Amino acid sequence: MKIILVCSAGMSTSMLVNKMRKAAEDRGMDAEINAIAESQLKNNLEGLDVVLVGPQVRYLEKKIKQQLEPQGIKVAIIDQIAYGMMQGDKVLDQAIELKG
Amino acid sequence: MNKFMEKFIEIAGRIGAQRHLVAIRDGFVAIMPLIIVGSLAILVNNFPPFGSFDFVAWMNGIFGEGNWQTVGGSIWNGTFAVLGLLVAFSIAYNLAKSYEVDGLSAGIISAAAYIMLVPVTEDWGLNFAWLGAQGLFVAIVLSILVTELFRVLVKSKWTIKMPEGVPEGVARSFKALIPATIILILIGFFQAIMSVFAEISVFEWIFSVIQEPLQGLGNTLPAAIIIAFLNHLLWFFGLHGTNIIGSVIEPLYLPLIQENLELFKSGVSAFDVPYTVTKPFLDSFVFMGGSGTTIALLAAIFIVIKQQKNHPYREVAKLSAPAGLFNINEPVIFGLPIVLNPVMLIPFILVPVTLTIISYVALSTGLVPKTVALVPWTTPPILSGYLVTGGSWRGIALQVFNLVLATLMYIPFIMAGARTLKAKMEDN
Repeated sequence: MKIILVCSAGMSTSMLVNKMRKAAEDRGMDAEINAIAESQLKNNLEGLDVVLVGPQVRYLEKKIKQQLEPQGIKVAIIDQIAYGMMQGDKVLDQAIELKG
Repeated sequence: MNKFMEKFIEIAGRIGAQRHLVAIRDGFVAIMPLIIVGSLAILVNNFPPFGSFDFVAWMNGIFGEGNWQTVGGSIWNGTFAVLGLLVAFSIAYNLAKSYEVDGLSAGIISAAAYIMLVPVTEDWGLNFAWLGAQGLFVAIVLSILVTELFRVLVKSKWTIKMPEGVPEGVARSFKALIPATIILILIGFFQAIMSVFAEISVFEWIFSVIQEPLQGLGNTLPAAIIIAFLNHLLWFFGLHGTNIIGSVIEPLYLPLIQENLELFKSGVSAFDVPYTVTKPFLDSFVFMGGSGTTIALLAAIFIVIKQQKNHPYREVAKLSAPAGLFNINEPVIFGLPIVLNPVMLIPFILVPVTLTIISYVALSTGLVPKTVALVPWTTPPILSGYLVTGGSWRGIALQVFNLVLATLMYIPFIMAGARTLKAKMEDN
C-alpha cells in the first residue's frame, strides 16, 4: 500500500510519517509512506493508493481531489487531533479505512 | 458563525493556492539557502567583540587587514547582492512548472530578460544596485509576464519540433527557441522605447512608484501588527498562516533587511541601521517556538499542570517540546488544540500582537539593536536573538523578557482551558 502525506514544508509531517512507518512495521504491514510538498505530488502518482492532506493546508484538498479521484486515488484530510498528537497508528488506520 | 468561517477558510485557501502567489512564495523559498549564507557571511565579517576577544581583530592579525573578509564579501556579492536576478529565475521556474511547461527554459529566459533591463554602468558593468533587492518588484512582475508569454507561445504552433529520437534536452532547447526569440525581442523593444522616450529606467520607475512606498508602509508598527494578527487568525482556523501571507511578506521585507545588512557591512552599528520591522524581527522576537509564541504556551502548561503527569495538556506539551525548540509547532496547534478552540483564541492572538508592540518599541527606541542578520526560521530562541542583532546580549534580553511575559499571559488561559476540559470529562 502506498500512502503520501501532503503538507507545506514537510517539517512536522515527516515526524508523523516516521511514526506511521513504525506503526506499519509493528503490524507487519507492507506500506510505503512518504511526506512531500504539493508541487511534487504529480511526480509520485505511480502505484499510489491514498493521499492524506495535512490539516494546515486543507485548502489543497479540493484541487488534489479533482486531480486524483478520477484515477482511483483516495484523498482526505488528516484527522486534526491525531495529526497534532502524532498518532501514527490512528492516521495509518485512517488511510487503511479510506482505501477500503 | 459557521457560514462566515467556511467563507473565510475558502477565501484564505484560494489565496494560499493561487498559482502566481504560490510561484512567488516558492521562488523565495528556493533562494532562502543562498541569502541565509550571504547574511551569515556578513555577520562573520563584522562580528562584534566578545568580552575581551575581538574576532575581527584576531583574524586581521593572522591574515592581514581585511584579506580574510574577501571570502564573506564575495559570498555576499553572489547571494544577497543579486537577489533580484535570483528570484527572476526562480519565480519563472516555479510558475512554468505549475503550468507543466519547461521550467528551466522559462527561468533562463526570465533571467536574460531581467539582465536586459538592468541599467549598464559607464564602464560597461551591470549596476549592482538593481541586481539586488531594489530590483525585486521588477523581478516579480517580469518573471510572471515572461512566463505567461512563454507558456502561451510554447503551447502554440510556433515551436520547432524535433523528430523522434533526438535527445530530450536538445528537443527541449529547440522547442524554446522561437518563444525565447519573441520574448527577448519584445523586451528589447520595450527597453529601447524606455531609454529613448523616458529619461528613467524601468527599475528606477517601479522602485520609486511602487516598491519604495510599500516598503515605507511595511516598516511601520501598524503593518507589523496587521501581519501578526492575520498570521495568527489564519492559524486559529487551522490554516498555514505564514505560508499564505508569505508571498506578500517576503518581497516587502527582504529589501529592508538587505538595506540593514548593507549598512552593517559597511561598518554602521546595528543600533543605527534604519529598519525595525523585518522578517527576522518577527521570527526572533515574536514567533518564538512558532506562531503564537507557543514555546511560552508549553512553559505555561508545565507550570500550571504539575501534579497530573498524564494530563492531556501535559502529554501534548511533552510531545511538542523538542520540535518547539526549533520553532515547529504543528503538534501543539492541532493537538492541544488551538485550532477553533475559543479559550485559546484570545491569548493566541493577543500574545504575539503584544510582543510585536513591545519589540517594536524596544528596537525603535534603541534599547535593543535592530536586526542585521537573517537566520533560518528554525534557529532556537536565545541563539536567534543573539545572532539577528549582530551578536548583542540585548537581543537575548528582549527574547527572555518576551518569553516570560508571554508565559504569564498564557497561564490564566491554560488554567481556564484545563477547567473546561475537566468539566467535559466529568460530563462524559
